[in-house]
Amino acid sequence: MGLVKRKAAYVEYPQAVPLKYAIDADSCIFLQKGKCGACKKLCPTDAIDFDQKETTGTIDVGAVVLSPGFTPFDPSRFDNYGYSKMPNVITSMEFERILSASGPTMGHIVRQSKDKREPKRIAFFQCIGSRDINKCDNAHCSSVCCMYAIKEAVIAKEHAGDGLDCSIFFMDMRTHGKDFERYYDTARDKHGINFVRSRVHTINPLENDDLEIRYVTEAGEAKTEVYDMIVLSVGFETSPQVIDLAHRLNIDLTAGNFCKTDTFKPVSTSREGVYVCGAFQGPKDIPQSVVDASAAAVEAGLSLSKARNTLTRVKETVPETNVNGERPRVGVFVCRCGINIAGVVDVPAVAEYAKTLPYVDYVADNLYACSQDTQDTMTDIIKEKNLNRVVVAACTPKTHEPLFQETLINAGLNKYLFEMANIRNHNSWVHKNNPDLATQKAKDLVRMAVSKVALSQSLQEAELTVNQAAMVLGGGISGMAAAKSLAGQGYETHIVEKAPVLGGQALSIYKTAKDEDVQKELAGLVAEINGNELITIHLNSELKGVEGFVGNFKSQIVSGGNESVLEHGVCVIATGGYPYQPDEYNFGKDPRIITSLDLDRKLIDQDASLKKLNSAVLIQCVGSREPDRPYCSRVCCTHSIDNALTLKKMNPDMSVYILYRDIRTYGEKELLYKEARKAGVIFIRYSTDNKPEVKLTDGRIVVRVTDHVLQLPVDIPADLVSLATAIIPNRDDTLAGFFKVPLNEDGFFVERHAKLGPSEFATDGVFLCGLAHYPKPIDESIAQGNAAASRAVTLLARKNIFTSGTVAETRPLDCSSCAVCISVCPYSAPSFTEKGPFAGKAEINPVLCKGCGLCVASCRSGAIRLKGFDNDQIFAQIFSFNEAS
Amino acid sequence: MSEWEPKIVSFLCNWCSYGAADLAGVSRMEYPPHIRVVRIPCTGRMSPKFALAALREGADAVWVSG
Repeated sequence: MGLVKRKAAYVEYPQAVPLKYAIDADSCIFLQKGKCGACKKLCPTDAIDFDQKETTGTIDVGAVVLSPGFTPFDPSRFDNYGYSKMPNVITSMEFERILSASGPTMGHIVRQSKDKREPKRIAFFQCIGSRDINKCDNAHCSSVCCMYAIKEAVIAKEHAGDGLDCSIFFMDMRTHGKDFERYYDTARDKHGINFVRSRVHTINPLENDDLEIRYVTEAGEAKTEVYDMIVLSVGFETSPQVIDLAHRLNIDLTAGNFCKTDTFKPVSTSREGVYVCGAFQGPKDIPQSVVDASAAAVEAGLSLSKARNTLTRVKETVPETNVNGERPRVGVFVCRCGINIAGVVDVPAVAEYAKTLPYVDYVADNLYACSQDTQDTMTDIIKEKNLNRVVVAACTPKTHEPLFQETLINAGLNKYLFEMANIRNHNSWVHKNNPDLATQKAKDLVRMAVSKVALSQSLQEAELTVNQAAMVLGGGISGMAAAKSLAGQGYETHIVEKAPVLGGQALSIYKTAKDEDVQKELAGLVAEINGNELITIHLNSELKGVEGFVGNFKSQIVSGGNESVLEHGVCVIATGGYPYQPDEYNFGKDPRIITSLDLDRKLIDQDASLKKLNSAVLIQCVGSREPDRPYCSRVCCTHSIDNALTLKKMNPDMSVYILYRDIRTYGEKELLYKEARKAGVIFIRYSTDNKPEVKLTDGRIVVRVTDHVLQLPVDIPADLVSLATAIIPNRDDTLAGFFKVPLNEDGFFVERHAKLGPSEFATDGVFLCGLAHYPKPIDESIAQGNAAASRAVTLLARKNIFTSGTVAETRPLDCSSCAVCISVCPYSAPSFTEKGPFAGKAEINPVLCKGCGLCVASCRSGAIRLKGFDNDQIFAQIFSFNEAS
Repeated sequence: MSEWEPKIVSFLCNWCSYGAADLAGVSRMEYPPHIRVVRIPCTGRMSPKFALAALREGADAVWVSG
């Protein structure tokens, strides 16, 4: 990003995978001028090849997934904010780097001007390159900037303390994601971030590189303030290269140059076999991109499912040698990692030292322990020297343990007879100015690893067969999308729906934001589900109990009084939500005061009376973003605007009002908002401390609201009041208990990871989609249904799963049946044995155990051990850390 | 005595702090070389006996992070 200089040989960023250096050809003196070449001379492994050229190849594939992403808007193109001239006007991406602990200033916030002073006042300007056809041509909302600006302001304040003043200048605050509204509330109320609803019109640089800004407040007052730093919250664009790629691939783009998709096929491009995910499909945040990615994978896989495993090769397995009862014979391999370790640590001295340790039979030092040839040599040595324990002193087990364990397996050793000593990440890389002490530390770490590995035992991994059937709970749009994907991949699928029909909430929706007829599309989807031989539909059905675990669930289902048991390997929870029925705005007191889904019903039924209305008032955030329900229902702004436009089209003379708090038409839905304003829909903003009043007098409805421009109350006579009510999840604590999955305080299910695991649970084999996760429109519900199926297929396709060997185990003779392990385990792995000589004593299901050791530490009788991290092993490490050498 | 540095035995959770220590290495941050790390699967595995054992073996401090 140019904030600091980078060498011509560089690692892209600290978390890069693979963590390898590259040469920046534009800056390399050798490639540019033919001089230098020092890297080639110095590289011990001869890895530098200056002759490498770009090559063009051909790959035969059955499907293509496009995920080219976005490019941040470059504010120097239309430079009314002086980005290229004023050093303290920076983009949000640059500020993100400044905040990063591994960034150019190690997370310390300083100005980019020569004074490098810590800023005391930072202003964030929203919608830079978004929602703007005046200074640029981007009419869309970039969806993520409000949220990231709040996040950056909070992190900045957490870093700099209360002395830092952060203000966010915005038009509409769009925190429509899961838990985002709470974050906004906390940022304002707890962190003291100022939110100013205004577009700043002028920035003037001052002599000391401070910035004077001018803006007009909501009340119409002109203001001038001075800030130390301005962060421009830049939006998303599709890069010219990607637009060119789209033209070459012959796929259609939208008006804003994003990939064109249909609501009911959210990851399919206009060209068959070509799929899309991420920000190229439309501006979106990480969870939605991850959902799309899984959805695109399953869609691409549909046409390929018959070919699954036809190109895979079966690996030869080496029989495992039984080493139980044998004296430990430890082999120690000390890695130089080129100069990464050997440049600091005296590797030969460490290797010599290792030879003196008890039970060590063999020691080698390797240039790169992880290279393929070293792996082969290691396999041979283990066999030849008859080693039964291995220590590799190299980098971190977090990245390399599986690789070396594979080597052990190839040599016929149990993979748990292995230990790593982290002498790179935890040693040579962090003590480069202390080679002697680093060498001493490496010896200590090797000694600790040897003493632990000597006590290690062969551990067994239980093999489980995965029942090849899936159960989908809920037959709404997302549940059906999940079922269709699962069946499309060739798996027997059961939909369990408590209503007498499929369709869920979609049965009440008139049109999508892209003008598609929901009832027509829904009927098509239901017909497809009904006609699919692999899908069994259980209507009027509820779940009564669930036994078992990943791969082997047994669910009791009650269908109209009849009980049956369904065996399945995975479960998708798509239990949906329902519209809030309000107790305000005189709802229920007059047939003309209805909810927005009631209005959809009238539109579906082609109610002729709608055309004759003179005036309609649509009120937003009814039950959403309130103290009882502090979340945004995400769909209502777009839905109401869509309905307003429909009413306007029916009768252009009708006065249509939308009373709102923030309009949240994220992504290209923003274009609808623009269209509505053009069509004459009147938008009036209200605040929660001054909500609109719906009055019924003498058979007339009058809505009183304080106009935000006039700052005066206005009375609107209304023939129809439509309330955009909140989406409430079908909270089901019993169901959550059946699958041991958590609910949040609003009643939505809590996914495995808010960003990276949005469509699955922390409980293996259970997946999530639709309104049960969070309010979302139809396209996102379908994408998540596909995504949940996609995640489920990764499990079903394995047919067998192996549990980990590092699990807890009880010694029933020592167990006092106190049940502490049962109460502390987050995964419900311990239970009391029901039958046999140890009935009433605790036992641990190795399938459910994640090996955290919480029960081991909590057991007051010392009756539980954690295999692989046994007490004697950890004590051995502790006892050997301080031995004089 | 001025060069004295405490010997610290640290028990780091595999999923967070151990990875953070790896990242400190990747980022080439420097810290005193008197720390010895014992990787544990989760701080839930930590037992008071481990801390006591480390102190008895000569550690000046014990650090549990997770």
